[in-house]
Amino acid sequence: MLLIQQLLNGVMLGSVYVTVAVAFTLTIGVLNFLNFTIPTLFMLAGMVGWALAYWGLPFGLSGPLSWPLALFFGVVVSILASLIVERFTFRYLKTKYGDSTEHAIPLVSSLGFLLVLENLVRIGYGTDAQRFPGPSADLTMNIGGIFVRIPQLVSLFLVVLIVVGLTWLLKRSRIGRGLRAIAENPDAANILGVDTRRVVPIVFMLTGLLCGLAGALFAVNYGEVSPQMGEDIGTKAIAGMVVGGLGSIWGAVLGGLIVGLIEMLTIHFFGADTVQVAVWGLLLLTLFVRPQGLFGHNSIGKGKL
Amino acid sequence: MSGYWAGILTILAINIIFAYGIFLPVATGQLNLGGAGFQAIGAYGAAFLSASFGLPVPVTIGVGMLVAGITGYLIAFPLLRTRGVYLVLATFAFAEVVAGLILNSDTFGGAMGLSVPAFIDWHVAVIAATVVTVFIFYLMSTRFGLTMRAAHDDEVVTDLMGVNVRGVQVAAFAIGGALAGLAGGLYAHSFNFVEIQSFNALVSIYVLLYVLLGGTQTAWGPLAGATFFTLLPEALRTILPALKNSVYWLAGVEGPVSAPDDSWRFVILGALTIAMMVLRPEGLITRTLIERIGFRKANAGKGAVA
Amino acid sequence: MTALLSLTNVSKNFGGLAVISDVSFDVPAGSRMALIGPNGAGKTTIFNLISGVYEPSAGEIRLEGQEISAIPSRNRIGLGIARSFQNIRLMPHLSVLENVMLGQQARAGSLANMLSPLGRSKWRREAEDLLDQMGLDTFPGEVVATLPYGIRKKIEVVRALVAKPKILMLDEPAAGLNNTETANLKDFLMKIAASGVTLIVVEHDMSLVRSLCDHAVVLNFGEKIYDGPTAEVQNDPHVLEAYLGTRHAGKEATDVA
Repeated sequence: MLLIQQLLNGVMLGSVYVTVAVAFTLTIGVLNFLNFTIPTLFMLAGMVGWALAYWGLPFGLSGPLSWPLALFFGVVVSILASLIVERFTFRYLKTKYGDSTEHAIPLVSSLGFLLVLENLVRIGYGTDAQRFPGPSADLTMNIGGIFVRIPQLVSLFLVVLIVVGLTWLLKRSRIGRGLRAIAENPDAANILGVDTRRVVPIVFMLTGLLCGLAGALFAVNYGEVSPQMGEDIGTKAIAGMVVGGLGSIWGAVLGGLIVGLIEMLTIHFFGADTVQVAVWGLLLLTLFVRPQGLFGHNSIGKGKL
Repeated sequence: MSGYWAGILTILAINIIFAYGIFLPVATGQLNLGGAGFQAIGAYGAAFLSASFGLPVPVTIGVGMLVAGITGYLIAFPLLRTRGVYLVLATFAFAEVVAGLILNSDTFGGAMGLSVPAFIDWHVAVIAATVVTVFIFYLMSTRFGLTMRAAHDDEVVTDLMGVNVRGVQVAAFAIGGALAGLAGGLYAHSFNFVEIQSFNALVSIYVLLYVLLGGTQTAWGPLAGATFFTLLPEALRTILPALKNSVYWLAGVEGPVSAPDDSWRFVILGALTIAMMVLRPEGLITRTLIERIGFRKANAGKGAVA
Repeated sequence: MTALLSLTNVSKNFGGLAVISDVSFDVPAGSRMALIGPNGAGKTTIFNLISGVYEPSAGEIRLEGQEISAIPSRNRIGLGIARSFQNIRLMPHLSVLENVMLGQQARAGSLANMLSPLGRSKWRREAEDLLDQMGLDTFPGEVVATLPYGIRKKIEVVRALVAKPKILMLDEPAAGLNNTETANLKDFLMKIAASGVTLIVVEHDMSLVRSLCDHAVVLNFGEKIYDGPTAEVQNDPHVLEAYLGTRHAGKEATDVA
């Protein structure tokens, strides 16, 4: 019984990983860009949401906001931050020589953004974890001995919605076709009429939306936010993305769930300290033995060759 | 010399050696985001031998360095079969696995860390840093250094020129790992305590960033990057109060929260990284810069303007 | 007499696409051969096969009678095969001198050489001398990325020469050069050939081909359609057909580029 509860918790946790993993995989798939800012965007939504719910808008514009409104603004801030990242990592990218480290310029920039954003939040709000004032009522259902919290179910439902919606977007819409064209061949996409200057920001907006929502859902489900909350989620999401295969959305879904399950099982059988080795060990093994993961293509992520 | 500045010099020396450890693979074309892993191996190797067997410092640091180097050599083979993003992720994962293994081993103190009995004062670190710096300048002036930089620019043609590209890359990883391990060993004996939290992912990120900022085309770059990073907090001490207040104002927060001053240094590092990648991704000190400085000096004697 | 280099029934497929089909030709030692054909005919692929970037799907490549297809690309320059590239492939972040010294690698690869400083070595002097001879002595320390196209083309040839090759393969050495520069290039290449180096030149400039090369191999769609003296190339009906279309076959042309 306890095991089933753990498995369920694992799936719930995994759904957070899934959302962030999808953001990672979308960015790598379309732009060949490993965006290290993603965990920070996740954290930003949660922390900003908390700050708004605790203090209200800056410059004394209002009192503490209700938690849904606070989280909404948290997501908005996440999207805006993501667009700022786009402007400074991607917009000005000029690959002159095509040598091996040039493809990594956006990656390095995103590391810079990670440091800036995370530390600004630390400076502004301290390093402590904060309790997030979420829904007050205890919304837990008891189904035959298994405890399921309503917010968790809502999160799961939302995640499924997002993933299905994204898949539809990529397959059926004009924007989706543009994204897939850029993923295949950025230069050709330009010539074929895809306006990359308008389509690329969409990737970043989706990234901000996905990470922001994940952060908001995390805050509601676990009732706690901290400036460090991105690091842990980020590492698991990356692992999920790699296991599922870089560039594959359904791979990210499966990978995120697998990582969530592995985490729960490892904690259950071996204790919390072993999670790090288990997850990263799995990641390293995947990269050495089968780098394209479950569903990925071999060509993605290789850099310009 | 005051204890305070002795501490700073020690850290500067350690950071320079660490920087060169990352510089070698990066200059050859492989971004190494796992520096902390190699440093941890060297640090814990030295700490363990000192604490459990009381071995003399040269032995503990030497063995730590050797283990780190061998690890670098062994891991390089599977690592170099990956490319681009996969390579960066793999080095990152490597460091996390090392940290995770240490965290879970009681022999190495687990989460509590290890006390290191033998102490070395700042002279040792500084001398080591000087030797390493000279070594790297020497290495980059050899044909080996030339093949490293050629492999970075164009692997296919470098191979056609007759260079064993994979061999050069593995060597860069192994020697780089050993140097990072040396930095770790020096750290262990200079501060007499190691805990795994000091060798986390952020440390790997910092060292990679300040090496890239300094420039990876010449041996001058890591020197500049490490010095900048180490002395930045000192420079910030003068302008910090004004900066703090402006952020409080922006965040709409009333007064000082438990603000860690250390954070400003990383905001600046991050901001400079972003700026550099847009304006001058090759880093501050490039081959061209060194040539220009050298050329002007060479012509100054001739008296003619070219 | 065995040719210095000979290709026998060489084919190269990528997936289902046959890029080179059953090509055979001999390159006698000391000769100057032109490898010509319309764009996409497979000329650079032939160079890639000879230098080892690709492995042939079928056929043999022999250097001095010895099959070399199984020899890794890294070792071919040591056998005496050096080349230049269609889109100049110098190391952008290395200086002119360093790029040339890279070409010495096959002769200087011993451990002792790898670990000796290049600063005042004989290798550096040799590279500097060669650059001087080529009239490229102005800024040996200049980083290559900043230099003009024509200069970089010359540096690439020097890099190939410093390997002291038996065969020098040049991929469009005259591209982007004006008439005077092309004439200088021809004189320079004649001098190199006179010193015993065998030349294979991919070129579109037919006047250069006619004055420099004694024999020509013409490719079209991966197949050889002519193999003989350069003087006869323009009269060959297959060549005319390839360049100009069936209507013009049989007519003389002064320039088939």
